Amino acid sequence: MASDIIKDLLVSLAAILFFPGGLFLLLCGLLYEWIDRKLLAQLQNRIGPRWFQPLADVIKLLAKEEVVPEEVDARLFIGLPIVALAGGLTAALYVPFAGLAPSHSFNGDLIVTIYLLSLLSLCLGLAGSNTLDRFSLVGATRTLTQLFSYEAPFLLALLGPAFAAGSWQIQEIATYTETRWLLLSQPLGFLVAVIGLMGKLELPPLDAPEAETEIVAGALTEYSGRGLAIFRLSKGVTLILGLTLIAAFYLGGVSNPAFFFLKTIALLLIIVGLKALFARLRIDQSVGLWWRYGTLLVLIQWLGMFLWGGVMT
Amino acid sequence: MNTDEALTIARQVVEGWAWKTETSQPEPYRLDVRLASKEDLIPIIVAFRVKRMGYLAAITGLDLGPEDGHLEVLYHFCTAAAVITLRLSIPREQASVPSLCSVIPSAEAFERELSEMFGVEVEGLPNPMRLYLPDDWSEGVYPLRKDVDEMALTSQVVMGEI
Amino acid sequence: MEKVQTSRSFTVPIGPQHPALKEPEHFLITVDGEIVTKAVVRLGYAHRGVEKATESRNWVQNIYILERICGICSHIHATAYCLGVEKLAGVEVPPRAQAIRVLVAEMERIHSHLLWLGVAAHEAGFDTLFMYSWRDRETIMDLLESLSGNRVNYSVNLLGGVKFDVDDELARLIYDGIDFLEKRTQHYLDVVTSDAMFLQRTRGIGTMTRSQADVLGTVGPTARASNVYRDIRVEAPYGAYGDFPVKIVLDERGDLEARFVVRIKELFESYRVIREILDNLPAGELSTRMPRRIQEGETVSRVEAPRGELFYFIKSNGTDTPERIKVRTPTICNMMSVVKLAVGHQLADVPMIVVGIDPCFSCNDRMTVVDRGQGQRQGWTWEALRRYGIRHYQRLAR
Repeated sequence: MASDIIKDLLVSLAAILFFPGGLFLLLCGLLYEWIDRKLLAQLQNRIGPRWFQPLADVIKLLAKEEVVPEEVDARLFIGLPIVALAGGLTAALYVPFAGLAPSHSFNGDLIVTIYLLSLLSLCLGLAGSNTLDRFSLVGATRTLTQLFSYEAPFLLALLGPAFAAGSWQIQEIATYTETRWLLLSQPLGFLVAVIGLMGKLELPPLDAPEAETEIVAGALTEYSGRGLAIFRLSKGVTLILGLTLIAAFYLGGVSNPAFFFLKTIALLLIIVGLKALFARLRIDQSVGLWWRYGTLLVLIQWLGMFLWGGVMT
Repeated sequence: MNTDEALTIARQVVEGWAWKTETSQPEPYRLDVRLASKEDLIPIIVAFRVKRMGYLAAITGLDLGPEDGHLEVLYHFCTAAAVITLRLSIPREQASVPSLCSVIPSAEAFERELSEMFGVEVEGLPNPMRLYLPDDWSEGVYPLRKDVDEMALTSQVVMGEI
Repeated sequence: MEKVQTSRSFTVPIGPQHPALKEPEHFLITVDGEIVTKAVVRLGYAHRGVEKATESRNWVQNIYILERICGICSHIHATAYCLGVEKLAGVEVPPRAQAIRVLVAEMERIHSHLLWLGVAAHEAGFDTLFMYSWRDRETIMDLLESLSGNRVNYSVNLLGGVKFDVDDELARLIYDGIDFLEKRTQHYLDVVTSDAMFLQRTRGIGTMTRSQADVLGTVGPTARASNVYRDIRVEAPYGAYGDFPVKIVLDERGDLEARFVVRIKELFESYRVIREILDNLPAGELSTRMPRRIQEGETVSRVEAPRGELFYFIKSNGTDTPERIKVRTPTICNMMSVVKLAVGHQLADVPMIVVGIDPCFSCNDRMTVVDRGQGQRQGWTWEALRRYGIRHYQRLAR
């Protein structure tokens, strides 16, 4: 009896720390980061990094001294990246990752997951405003401005499939979409979700919060060493979870591990293509983009869905 | 406005100050006007502007050396191929010229350069802070003057004396 | 009750070291939220004292020191200097040499404009265009290398002529390279005038009206993008431009897009002139004899650098060293327009506006006397440099 409990505990711990959560998730994040960088380089006529470069970067950063600037709250400065990473890893518990069923599930976990994923932007914003550096402050303002603009359309875009499935539980939605490609019935929602993910991760052309030609590294300007490494890891985790959610909801399910990787990498290709194609938007332009077009598109999508639903019944 | 027209108009303008200026044409496309007093500088430039004569291409400082005791300040105005130069001679000690900024705002950079390099005080310069030299450069050292030796200056800078 | 006033504005320093600037320069931008309310520029971080240094070197040495004012427009500096000194000495340069000078000057303009296109695209966050235009720039740099042996600082000019000849094989290489670049340039023109996202960053940004451009004394493509008729190659043809005339490229809009369009259209003009020169390269000598001492006198030499009018004032006192050489580079003329234009724009537009004039800070800064080459008389020894650094920071600490 006692040995069963210990066994269960060990299995859960292994699931959280190594596979499919924890370490495996982090490594997958690094792998996707490499695919992203390599492809972007190829599209831009460069050679790009070798496969272990993101890992090497992280190891190097972890080994470096972490400089805590003067006049900042040191606890916040060190704690924020950890909170961001913890948010991402917690969110992973509710997401059907690598073809496996999520390890935890309850009704409404979709909302919880989306908010856990937003912790990254929130922590970035707080980290930027925690320092006295002017580039960080401008970067933090922009990060938070962008948070408030992409979050609503992104949330609405992910709620579309939830309505179609009639559930707010990720596992149930994933089961519902297993046999249906919602991309075909909700193309606008898919588009907004992909671009919303790019906004969340501050990828070009929505990278105004870390526009290096204006504000150096934005909110992360003062970060070095471990803090920077952890922030980068949590970006990787957020990337992979976002891709998983979109693939599960719109691209006909991810219950097969092979399909999971195929579909998420295909999505990544689309994102890299968009990254290479466009010039950076100014912050006012990207906010305008979200509220003027993004939200509107999703609402049109919803209207269509409801009308269609009304006709069918 | 072509080159010849520009030269003709410049001659006509300068004629109004004929008793106080000395005009020569060292090269076919150049007109060199030596002004007797710096009070005439601004009125002549205003007259140029009224006639829509060219733009201020550069302000050159010239040090004629300690023996001569004079600095020259050259204002070059260009139209097409024509270069009209207004030449002011001022004493090395208490050298000063009026600022053109009220007439030509873009003169500011040239005048700041002139004042820090040659020690010419530019009267009425809206923003007389340093443009090129370091903030901790010693007062009274004007690198482009002839009595400043390049080698000596270099070693002084290296040793932190300037 | 006392009213508490809180200031929402703060200053953002751009430079001396900043990812937006490829060379050290300091802009102090005061912003209110994201809107720029004041901009101040501080120059001088790349001062090398070139003007002073020319006064203690002979006429020949000065070609090489002046060529090193700027890495990108090196040839045009040497050309301006040589044309001026030849005028003072009354020497007539053979037509073939003049044609080769112009040929190299136009190749340099292509090199410079393509480089600028890449930098400007990077400032706008459009890295794909940046990578592509720099890849194509390699073509022209390879051609310059086959001509002179160097990718930058070609050192083509001599007093009284040029060093390098263009034979048939090289001419064929240049024709091929130009054909390739012309196709690419057409593509870039399409991109900068039709890419909607890119146009959001350029159209209507940093607009300078014709009268503003005139009053602020701008030169070169910056002025021409505001419809100011100002191109030394056209207005006062020097070298072989009399035989191979250039058509001036104007645009009346005056915004950043116009500056992109003007520079790219100038590339086509350069391709045309290069082909024309290669088709009709005059035969004859490459150089002529120059006296060692230049007779007394003053002259003004103006040429059109890639960034605008380059102005040299040269005074000789009859010896083998010049009395005074004044260099007025195009960037200093255009820089003042940046400070004026930036006000009222978003912070995000500032790098684009700065880069819109194609600034060249090392051209701009050239005059104090700090740097000296090694070897001659008193150089910077490592020890001296170290001591200088320590003293400097001790003084700062005080």
